[in-house]
Amino acid sequence: MIDSFAELAPAILVGLPILAAAFPLLLGRLWTRIGWWISLVTTLAMTGIAAVLAYSVHVNDAVHHHLGGFAPPIGIELVADALSVWFAFLIAATATVVLAYTYQGGPRGRAFSSVYLLLIGGLMGIALTGDLFNLFVFLEITGIAAYSLIAARQHRDAAYAALKYLIIGTVGATLYLIGVAYLFMATGSLNMVDVSASLAGGGSADIGVPLYDEMLVRAAFAFIFAGLATKVALFPVHSWQPDAYSEAPDAVTVILSALVSTVAAYALIRVTFTVFTPAFFEVTPAATTAIVTLGVVSALVGSILAVLQSRIKRMIAYSSVAQFGLVVAAIGVATGPIPAEFALAGAIIHLIGHAIMKGGIFAAAGAIAASTGARTVQEYAALARRRPGLAACVAVLGFALVGVPPSIGFIGKWYIALGAVESEMWLVAVVVFISTLLTLGYVARLLERMYFILPEDAPSAVVTDGGDGVSIGMLLVVVLAVALTVVLGFLGGPLFELVDPYIQEVLHG
Amino acid sequence: MSESERVRQEYTQSPIILTTARILAPFVLTYGLFITFHGADSPGGGFQGGVIIATTVYLLAFTFGVEPTSTWVGHRSMAILAAGGVIIFTGIGFATMALGGNFLEYAEFVAILDLPENEVVKWGMEAVEIGGIAAIIAGVVMALVFLTAGGYGPERGEEP
Repeated sequence: MIDSFAELAPAILVGLPILAAAFPLLLGRLWTRIGWWISLVTTLAMTGIAAVLAYSVHVNDAVHHHLGGFAPPIGIELVADALSVWFAFLIAATATVVLAYTYQGGPRGRAFSSVYLLLIGGLMGIALTGDLFNLFVFLEITGIAAYSLIAARQHRDAAYAALKYLIIGTVGATLYLIGVAYLFMATGSLNMVDVSASLAGGGSADIGVPLYDEMLVRAAFAFIFAGLATKVALFPVHSWQPDAYSEAPDAVTVILSALVSTVAAYALIRVTFTVFTPAFFEVTPAATTAIVTLGVVSALVGSILAVLQSRIKRMIAYSSVAQFGLVVAAIGVATGPIPAEFALAGAIIHLIGHAIMKGGIFAAAGAIAASTGARTVQEYAALARRRPGLAACVAVLGFALVGVPPSIGFIGKWYIALGAVESEMWLVAVVVFISTLLTLGYVARLLERMYFILPEDAPSAVVTDGGDGVSIGMLLVVVLAVALTVVLGFLGGPLFELVDPYIQEVLHG
Repeated sequence: MSESERVRQEYTQSPIILTTARILAPFVLTYGLFITFHGADSPGGGFQGGVIIATTVYLLAFTFGVEPTSTWVGHRSMAILAAGGVIIFTGIGFATMALGGNFLEYAEFVAILDLPENEVVKWGMEAVEIGGIAAIIAGVVMALVFLTAGGYGPERGEEP
């Protein structure tokens, strides 16, 4: 019973939110609140389906759904394997939780609900597709939905941020598409598994010799990496991200920071390990060097820029540039000559952990802004007196981001550092350490403001906003993120076990 | 000056444009439908056809002004076209799953349609092309032009 349902689950997970997106537009005139309820029912159903699918894949085997009944490599397939189901579940669960934030915190309205569901559908598609071109389509759906969600704040800075994201994001998606076109020229296929087999000399192309040293294939990887790096927001193609995160409505920032770049990084892992495979990097060591270098630079520069910020949301946004730098550096380490299981596990766990921690911090920042109006580090002065609960949540999440155990942030960074040492890439290990110190730099600045500035020193402008706009839903999101961050911190071993099947498959065949 | 007078002044009706539009519009619309109704087993398709259908409305907007045309088409009908198209597309996809197949596996419709399989597949594809894609594209492209031409409205620069 569960098996036959799991066969259909990937298509339902992608199709359901897109179908549901049509209804708020049609029914919103009757009852303005209906969009929220439609979103809630849809995302709850998706969370349940994703959980069943994850269970089925964990117990049995990967699920392949051939769209239209056309078998790959000609047809498009959706694949739920040991990696994609966890991201599918993360997307569905996060989408459900963030709705609690938007119930009072907004944005509301039928257009918002429709676009929100489209965003979730697009993200789900990226997570589950097994086809390179299909991935591009879902990247675009996700991107377009994200641009309009940012513009939902209806402020001229938000419009500018959305336009900037649109231009840079479109260029990124186009670079990715050029890479896919090159791969198609080289192999004649778009199915990820088939392209991978064709690159190795078999597959539907069946050339007989590996294509790894072809200039076409190397260029394809370069374009795909550049495109996805733009979507992930690595330095120096990160410039859309701080504007987008800080100008979007608070609830939208939560979902953007938790899912959009995360899923792009997932796509990078998928393309790097499922399509190109470590064999490609053996022939092209320069690619490994490039990934590691860009990741390391991004981790350092992002942290330094974060320290320099005075506005909270910008600071956390730059911190994301740094954390994704670590993730990408770990991906690079895992492609190195010494297979580093821990590095890949670290990349995946840190991705999921980062989604939880950043979503939580942005939700807390939004709740603090709603209740006190504080949006800069300066205005956070003596927050611990005015809002002790929220201040404590920010403190816990901040420490988790630094990597203080027990927290999911510690586990991710630990595995990344372990992987770097294991494959003797000492530079990465050192950078993990330095970026941790820099993270401590900006988190400590925040903590000092919140806890060690006396109320009389606090700027009075902050206190004037007496209206308490914070809702139970907002607090629920923050508390849930804090709880998950800490609880998952004790589950480093089980988390590793969950992603281990995928790692074994791609690193050891 | 009343609103309608202002609109009339903005869009001076030119006999040249009016005549051209009057002659062209039926042909453009027919061409759009022609392309839309092909696609399953001949060159064409809902995407291209939908765009051409929407350009008929552009032509009217050029002739009679953006605002009157926008009012004439109506925001609601554009939303119904776009959202209805999405429902038809994904609805057909899920219907084939309900019949025991995969997403959009048209051949499953042989269970309820008294037709040979290749015909069923063709009509399933046509239904998605015409009812789904063409409607979505026509609705969205029309709405895009009216929104862009309508401008951003009054300055909404400050935080609400």
